[in-house]
Amino acid sequence: MLETYLPIFLLLCVSTAAGGGLYLLSKFLGRKTTDSQYMDTPYECGIEPVGTTKERFPIKFYLIAILFIVFDIEVVFMYPWAVVYRKLALFGFIEMLVFIGILVVGYIYILKRGALKWD
Amino acid sequence: MEFPQIDYVAILPEIIICGLALLIMLFAAFLPRDRRWITGHIAWFGIIVASFAVWMNWGTDTRTFAGMYSIDLFSSVLKLIFLLGSLLVVFMSENYIRLHKLEAGEYYALIIFSLFGMMMMASAADLVVFFVGLEIMSVALYVLAGFRRSDPKSNESSLKYFLLGAFATGFIVLGIAFVFGAVGTTSIAQMFDPQQYTLANSFFYLMVGGGLLLIGLAFKLASFPFHMWVPDVYEGAPTAVTAFMSSGPKAAAIAVLARVFVVAFGQHITQLSPMFWSLSVLTMFTGNLIAISQTNIKRMLAYSSIAHAGYMLIAFATGTAEAVNSVVFYLLTYTVMNLGAFMVLLVVEGKEDGDNEITSFTGLGRRHPFLGAAMTLFLISLAGIPPTAGFAGKFFLFKAAVAKGQIPLVVIAVINSLISVYYYLRVVVVMFMIDTQTEFRPVSYPAFLYVALVVAVLGTIVLGVFPTSFFPFDIPLLASGR
Amino acid sequence: MLSETASLVFWVIAFVTIISAIFVVSLRNIFHSALFLVLCLFSVAGVFVLLDAEFLAGVQVLIYVGGVAILMIFAVMLTSRMTNSEVRQQNEQKALGALVAFSFLLIVTGAILKTMSVKGGFGLSPSPSVTISTPHAIGRLLLTNFVLPFELVSVLLLVALIGAVVLAKKDGD
Repeated sequence: MLETYLPIFLLLCVSTAAGGGLYLLSKFLGRKTTDSQYMDTPYECGIEPVGTTKERFPIKFYLIAILFIVFDIEVVFMYPWAVVYRKLALFGFIEMLVFIGILVVGYIYILKRGALKWD
Repeated sequence: MEFPQIDYVAILPEIIICGLALLIMLFAAFLPRDRRWITGHIAWFGIIVASFAVWMNWGTDTRTFAGMYSIDLFSSVLKLIFLLGSLLVVFMSENYIRLHKLEAGEYYALIIFSLFGMMMMASAADLVVFFVGLEIMSVALYVLAGFRRSDPKSNESSLKYFLLGAFATGFIVLGIAFVFGAVGTTSIAQMFDPQQYTLANSFFYLMVGGGLLLIGLAFKLASFPFHMWVPDVYEGAPTAVTAFMSSGPKAAAIAVLARVFVVAFGQHITQLSPMFWSLSVLTMFTGNLIAISQTNIKRMLAYSSIAHAGYMLIAFATGTAEAVNSVVFYLLTYTVMNLGAFMVLLVVEGKEDGDNEITSFTGLGRRHPFLGAAMTLFLISLAGIPPTAGFAGKFFLFKAAVAKGQIPLVVIAVINSLISVYYYLRVVVVMFMIDTQTEFRPVSYPAFLYVALVVAVLGTIVLGVFPTSFFPFDIPLLASGR
Repeated sequence: MLSETASLVFWVIAFVTIISAIFVVSLRNIFHSALFLVLCLFSVAGVFVLLDAEFLAGVQVLIYVGGVAILMIFAVMLTSRMTNSEVRQQNEQKALGALVAFSFLLIVTGAILKTMSVKGGFGLSPSPSVTISTPHAIGRLLLTNFVLPFELVSVLLLVALIGAVVLAKKDGD
């Protein structure tokens, strides 16, 4: 059973090795710099940096992300329905319509309230 | 494949309430801002229609949705209590929303969704349905608590409620998992049926699950030691929402406690009794003793609601069907009188923010006799003095407890009621005995709030004088399920 | 029972889960905590795989790792002075908290061990309908016996959606 997951395991190993290896390589082979003034500034293609890299995100991103998760979960519920769709016949279809219908009201709501508008 | 039979007539009230919430959302989306007050009128109208649908189904005794949903007298009575509470809250909110310029559409939609969740909890015959219903109710309440976004106190209230509530939810899920592990089903009816399972080998396991469930429900009920959130959340939330929070979720939690601990674990109720006994005593004392030192009326009512949770738990220490019936009646009286007290608070509060000190009631009785008299009535009812609803509620509850031999518990509860008289009457003293030097804050009587106030006053008196003519005291706890 | 390999895999996954969970609640940089949360949630997906619950494992990765954890990282980035600063994750009540957590662990372990010893194995009555947890079985159950909770979930999602819009959207239209 677990053999099915061998590729995933290999992928994990390779990515860990690649990431960790590169880090270790640069640590051992790289030149040690004592001057940290320029090391700590953000990389701006040689131009003087104008601010820090750790800026606050606007809350708009967050709202979109929450809305994404809501619909993400909806889709997860559709998957098991889809695989037995034929056996569930009309009953399953109608129940799914109700399920989606309720969320469509939510979708119309966020559209009309402009929650997806960027400005 | 076999599909479950769905009895659409029996679940008509739920369909109406869900449709109502969706309709209000659509109105909120499509109406221009200055016309959204209409949603409030749709809300109260819809609630009345749904109440008629419950009335129509009176006496239905069936389980539908593959046995997951039980429509019986017990759930119908509770649903009417929820509907009445929500109706009064909608009436109360109309003016509040206008004064504080809140988003009417979302507000009413969330109230109705929360009501929907409570109705699901009242009828749930399966722990999964109960859990999802609980979440619908709670999520709506978390948002409502923080509805005044510009008010830091409201934000604090919402955040505290959410974090602690989510934690309590974790306990409930774990509890359901344990119960499922012990008996192999989540159906309350199957757990109840002794032929369906034997507990010989997994009793301890089941009790761990039950204990975890109890932790989560005690949080929603605001019982000791899970009451810490109550004063802060009640104080910060918009006053109309506080009123809703203090009545609805408590009643829903009681409904589930009854279904799980008295019906499903009914065989073990005598073993569980000492636990409920101590919970009840500790909750009563915590609520009443701390309420004495409060100067803010919202905080005082918060501690009073903790104390009332303690009285309600007496029914589970007793564990008979009679006790559960009387606690349902107690919920009805508590809903009416508690909402009434909040209505007077709303009128007095008016447009002012955050000033809910007891001193702001100074001289109310002399300047506005009706308001003062109404508040006095609600407060003596909360204290349990005859001939009010609060007295009748306590009377039947204590009677059921005495019948099962819980005399020490009843004595403790009576002592607690006496303690509570002190802090309730202190407000009355402030209202009538002391006159303000300055002019009393102008008070307006918005029409809907006034109607709700009259309903609450009448309810408090009528339930106190003729309790048996309005309430069936022989409710079976679960549909026989044919 | 698990095979030799599977039980080795289980111990590795359990170790990673617990260590990363400890890091989540103890690191002073909250951003690093969030990253360890991703690792923790991911290894829980591994536990699901070991329990033959592939669908749940997929959902775990899709929603928790791909959605919820990312949302948390967003939340950290939204909050100023959170990404750099050192946050104290404990307070004066940590001894009491540890005591409560430990006694809870004892009770739960006791319950599990006691149940096992009685019947040799988990003496629970298995419900035939949930022994196979492929998407097929889940889909069948969701749309027959569990159709009510299934519909309720959509209402719950809708409430969450309104809540997000109410609390996170800017004032005005």
